[in-house]
This record gives sequence, C-alpha cells and structure tokens, in this order.
Amino acid sequence: MTSPVVHVTRHVLSGALLRGARQDVRLVARGWRWGRRSMVPRSAEPFVPAQTAEPFPTAWARTPAATVVRDGLQRFGLRPLMRSGITPTVRGLDVLDQLAGPVVFVANHTSHLDTPLILCSLPDAWRRKTAVAAAADYFFDTWWRATSSAMVFNTFPIERRSGSMSATPGDLLADGWNVVVFPEGTRSPDGWTRRFKPGAAFLSQTQQVPVVPVGIRGSFAAMPRGRGWPVPGRPAVTVRFGEPLLPQVGEGPREFGTRIEGAVALLVDEDATTWWDATRRAARGQTPPMSAPDTAQWRRVWDQTRPPVVRTTRRIWR
Amino acid sequence: MSRPGFVLEVDDRTPPLVVHEGEGFRLETFPRGTRVIYPPESLPGIRDVDGAIRRALLEPTNSEPLPVLLTAGMRLTIAFDDISLPLPPMVKPDIRQRIIEQVLTMAAAAGVDDVEIISANALHRRLTAAELKDIVGERVFRSFFPQGALYNHDAEDPDGMLFIGETDRGEVVEINKRAAESDLLVYVNVNLVAMDGGHKSVPIGLAGYKSLRHHHNSHTMVNSRSFMDHTKSAMHHSAWRMGKLLADHLKIFTIETTLNNDVFPDSYGFLMKREWEWGVRDQASMLAARRGLAIAPKSVRHKLYQGMRAPYGLTGINAGETEAVHELTVAKVHQQQMVEVQGQSDVLVMGVPYVGPYNVNSTMNPILATCMGLGYYFNSYRGQPVVRKGGAVILYHPVEPDFNQLHHPSYVDFFEEVLSTSTDPAVIEAKFEQQYATDPWYVHLYRTSHAYHGVHPFYMWYWAAHAMDHVGDVVWVGADRKAVERMGFRAASSLQDALEMVSGTVGRSPSITYLHNPPHLIADVR
Repeated sequence: MTSPVVHVTRHVLSGALLRGARQDVRLVARGWRWGRRSMVPRSAEPFVPAQTAEPFPTAWARTPAATVVRDGLQRFGLRPLMRSGITPTVRGLDVLDQLAGPVVFVANHTSHLDTPLILCSLPDAWRRKTAVAAAADYFFDTWWRATSSAMVFNTFPIERRSGSMSATPGDLLADGWNVVVFPEGTRSPDGWTRRFKPGAAFLSQTQQVPVVPVGIRGSFAAMPRGRGWPVPGRPAVTVRFGEPLLPQVGEGPREFGTRIEGAVALLVDEDATTWWDATRRAARGQTPPMSAPDTAQWRRVWDQTRPPVVRTTRRIWR
Repeated sequence: MSRPGFVLEVDDRTPPLVVHEGEGFRLETFPRGTRVIYPPESLPGIRDVDGAIRRALLEPTNSEPLPVLLTAGMRLTIAFDDISLPLPPMVKPDIRQRIIEQVLTMAAAAGVDDVEIISANALHRRLTAAELKDIVGERVFRSFFPQGALYNHDAEDPDGMLFIGETDRGEVVEINKRAAESDLLVYVNVNLVAMDGGHKSVPIGLAGYKSLRHHHNSHTMVNSRSFMDHTKSAMHHSAWRMGKLLADHLKIFTIETTLNNDVFPDSYGFLMKREWEWGVRDQASMLAARRGLAIAPKSVRHKLYQGMRAPYGLTGINAGETEAVHELTVAKVHQQQMVEVQGQSDVLVMGVPYVGPYNVNSTMNPILATCMGLGYYFNSYRGQPVVRKGGAVILYHPVEPDFNQLHHPSYVDFFEEVLSTSTDPAVIEAKFEQQYATDPWYVHLYRTSHAYHGVHPFYMWYWAAHAMDHVGDVVWVGADRKAVERMGFRAASSLQDALEMVSGTVGRSPSITYLHNPPHLIADVR
C-alpha cells in the first residue's frame, strides 16, 4: 500500500492531474457555455425561479470619470464602428433645441443597432447625459456583459418579467439624466412593432418630464435578431426624432402610452413618405399601423427586410 | 418556496449531469430525450424544533399525552432507530437526542426511575459507544451508558428475547424482552424514506431472526411493490400483522420524525442544485472537488465522504398511536420526495452513492452496492417501476471487492461461497440461509463484536430480488469486472458501452430515465 504522499506525487508527476483538469474544464466550458449566455433546458423552463437577486449596481457607470471614458469609447470607437457597418441618416434633431432635459426617449425596437443608433445620433451634450434602460435578464445576466454594456452604453437594468417598474429610471430622471426606453420590452421578431407597454408613459407622468418619440426604420433589415453584425453593403438606416409629448391633465398612462405609440408610428410613416403626407394621414386617422399585418410570417419579415429608401439630394456632378 | 420535483427531458441546452458513483461522482452527457427525474427542493425546516417536539408529546395523535402515560414506579423503555438512519448521518444535535432528552425530562418529572434506552438495531451491527453518544447526545449517554442502561439490542441473547405469539398467518412475533415487559415503550424514529416507520419500527427493529425470516425472504421481497408504499408491500403487510398483535400486548408510544432533503453540507452545495443553475462558484467547487477526489488516496477519499454530515432540517414530528402517526408521517415524506412520472421506460439509469444504511463508518462492498442500487433505488417508486418489465438497469459504482472485516465478515463468505454457487435469491435462500443464520461464529461476532448478523447479506440480496425478477439486463458502469460478474451482472466502461450492451434487450433507441438522487425521491409512475 503506497503512502498518501507517494500517491499524490505519482499522480502529479504522471500528468494525470493536469490531464484530468483539462478534460474537466473543457467539459464544463462547453456544457455551461462559458462566455455565452447560459441556457435552461426547455423542459425545465417552467421551473425557473423568479429573479430575486439584487440588481447589478450601475451607479459607477455614471460617475464623471466613467462618463469621460464612455464619451471617448462612443466617439472614437462606437460611432466609426457603426458607420463602417451601416449608413445612418438622422432627422429631427432640432426638436431638442427647444428642450433643456431631462427627457424620456421612446423608440420602436427591432435590432441591437437601435441603442447605438440613438446614442450616436444625439448631440454630444445630450449623449453624455443619456442612459439606456436594458433588460436585466438579458444584458445583466453575467458580470462581464453587465459591466461592458453599462460602460459603453450607460445601461441600467430593468426587470421586464415581474412587470414591476424599477426604481432606477425615476431616480435617473430626477438626477437630470435622459433615459432611452424601448416600450415593447424586446426586439421585434419580424420587424413590425409590438404593443407598447405603459412604463415609459408612467415614468413621464410621475417624473413630469417630456417624452421625445423616436422612429427607427431599416435597422431590422440591417441587423435582425440572430445577427451579430449588419448585413453586407452598409444598409441604410434612418432615425427620426419627433416633437416632445407631455401628459395631459386627466390622461392615464395607457392613454398617454397610446399617444406615444401613435407619435412613433407617425415618424415612421413620415420617414417612409413625407411630413405633409404623413400629417394629413394622421389627421384623417389613417397613419399606417406599425403592428404586424395578419399575413404569413415570411411576408411580414419580407416586408420589413426591404431597405428604406432614403431621400437625399442627389449630386448631379460627381 | 421550495420548487416541486419534475422530469427533465435532456435537450441541446442540457449541460452534463452529475451521477454519483461511490466515493466520487462524474459528469455524464446523456442522450437527447433522456428523462431525468429531479426530486423536489428541500422543504423549509421547522425553526422551533424543541417546541415542535414538546407539542407532539403533549398533543399526540390517538393517544393520551406522554406525561399522562408516565407514572412513578413504572418500567419505561425508550428504543430508537440505529445508525442506519438518516443517511448520511445528520449534524449534531441528532433529532433523536432532542426527542429523548424531552421524553426523559418528562419521565423525571413523573418520578420514573426504571428507564432503559435501546438501540433498535435488529440484526445490524452493534453501535460503538461513540456512535451511541453521537445519536443520543452526551447528557443522555453519561446518565445511562456507564450504568448499562443504554445499550444495543441483542437478537441472539436467549434470555433477552420474549415470544409474544403468532399472527393469523403463523408468523412468530418475538421481540426484545425488556421492551416487551415494559409498561410503556417509547419508540423514536427517523423516517427518512416512506418505507421506514410504522409497524416496521418495533416488530422489526427489536426483533430477531425468528421473526424477521417471515418477511425478509425472497418471496416476500419479490411481492413488495413497492417498499415505498406500505399498502402494497408484502413485507410491510407482514410487519403490520405483527405490529397489530404486539399492540395488544404492549403499550407503544410512537414518535416519528420527517426530514427535508438537505443531504449535502454547504461545501457540496452544488450537488443539491439543478446543474443548469450552477453559478461560477458551483462550477468552480465542482471542478475543485473532482480534482481533489481524483488526486486523493482512497483512504483520504473514504474519510472525507464518511465524515460528511447532512444539515437536515426537521419537516415534521408526530407522536401517539403507531398507525395514525405513520399516516401523517408518510404524507410528509411524500410531500418532500414524490415526483410524478408519466409511464415507464426501457432503461433505468441510477448512480449509487457512497453510503447506504449498512455501511455508515464502513465500506460499501459489492453486495451492499447491489442492495442500494437494485434494492433501494430501484424500489423508489409508487405505482409501477420506472423501468418496464424486461427492461434494463444501468448503475454507476466502482463495485470494488472490498469488505470491512469487522462489520461484514459473513459478507465475505457470502460473496465467495454463496454467489459462486448461485445468484438466484430463492435458490440461495433454500440452500444457504439457515446455515449462515445459525453459524455460531457469526452469532458470536454479532453479539460481542461489531459485525452484522450472519444472515444479513442474504437479506441484502433479497432486497434486490424484485429488481432482478423484473428487469432483463443489469450493467454497471465503471465497475470492477470480476466483482460484478460474480454477482451475475456485466460491467461497462461508459454509458455508451452500457447502452450498446443492453441493446439486445431494449433495442438501439430505447427510452431512458435517469433517477437523479440523492437527494431522496420517490417516482410516482402513472
């Protein structure tokens, strides 16, 4: 019978320890999807407990030092990177001239491009003071994803499963930060807009800050769900900011939410046609709905993957 | 809020799953579509344990309160479940200690002088003084052990057993004389699984070979379907008949406790979690544990595992008349362990862990590993077995032919002599049981040393009789080839090989169910 010391020494020297460790680590890395989003087996999904963990702290990402670092990252990293993949067109920024902030930016959401699009479209002074509400279960499920998204995009976690409103966006608005909210709660699977949840309207009402509607067109065609990079050819994407909206006296969050949804739909229509045509259609109550038509899935996706025609002043002399 | 147990269907998102195999565990990648039965999460333990014990003693079920039953000058005997329960042994203070202390406090207040405390070990080995002390606590041990009033039951003491009578089926009821002649017998039970408790406590725990042979035999065991449902178990039916007879002769105050599923200490917390919910810490702990176990010499590994103490929480305590109490107990056990499963499968996979009822502070030899896998785990069902008739069972355990000479001397001979002749429970029962049960050397070791009774390995083999009768193929993964061959089984080096080997019985694409325990579970197969 060998002594424990001899046994251990033999085990180490033979390389069995390292070999076994390497095999185990490889098995665990693959099985638990290291570096990727963890997944629950489908049959176990009904038994996943509700998230009760403390929200990931993001206050550090809004300190002056982090703001300076983020400004550099966005100006010299994110913006050139985005322009290398898509051709963005921004309209309606003049509405911000009449505002002092803070405001709630409310946009339709079809792609991961939407957040950098809005941030990089904003004037620098606005961009530096803008935070983005991001799904806690998606962007804050791992420490590295949470840290990087808070650093680069100034995101803060928002619980979308429980239905309860996180306290953070109200605090941020009270502290003078603008907040970007995608009231659909998730990216559209077919490019068409889903029903707006009343959270953004509720936030605007409780904090008494205006809502700036933002219509985004073409981001689904450029980078739909499932893609990590825009399609080749630098597809065109447009971002259009609309007139600020304020809750009216006696107006509930649902009614105000419907009005915001209408304003975003108007911006999308305006972008597809002209301001005059879209305004007249809106006056007649005939603004094309953003919600998906009752057609086959492929037709809905087909329709939304058509790149937007961007009206630009054509240069005759090249 | 504890989540219920459920049946997982392995898909592309399922990580490798933990499979216990003796003093170690492995991560196994199961074929897609495999069903995995997970036990319910631990129920919250009772916070005020002493208060719950007091309430149970003062407000018993179908009985007068304990203080009313205690009178000066009476003869009181307290018997308790031995070291085979719970598994693994629980962190101190043991629940039996807390109960016995309260019973003794009431007895002292009533002026009871004649008190003896007996470990109800039937034909199990005698507990050492240290093991008795672990269970009853220092205070009780110091008050009773030196005076010889705390001791192990001796089923072979000709003057220590009393014939009570025979049941209407001719079953001999003979129990410990001191207990039988007491004015009151208080039995303190730990009901870890549904087959424990009820009339299995006194008529079995304090009995001897003459009584036990009526239900611990191959015929009864094959017809116990299953042990976890006492209403459908021939073994329990026999014990119930004996218990009813006994109840006419002896006043028994039964105290039954139920525990939650906290079977592993914090350092092994990952073994209690569902694998896909493992965080970074769990994964790191698992990797460290795997490497540590791989590098550790066998003796260190053994010490590490046998030193493990479960932080069990008490989920219920009921006292009073045996049958009424047991109904409440079983309901609580079901609440903690029952999982609904739809239909049987072709193959049942089970990982046999390091400890069973008969190798606490000892070695799990091949016969005990078989008893644990094909006896206890296979029988962890209600309704019908998880595997279909004629299906296959795949077990994980090293099955090393290591025997503890102090605890299991008759097992060595059983393995070498009996199993080399036949592995058929009925054949070996007819040919060898009597010889081993009455062998004077084994009797001597049982009475004076710490050896299991000579007949004990036969009983272990009978536990597996139902499984051996039901399934067509048994394959052990990672086992010692010669040892499993001796027992009439086959060995495979991997799950894939095992499935290949059983394909002759169940085909090339069988339905597979993996029983993910411990923690304990009962599959309610519909």
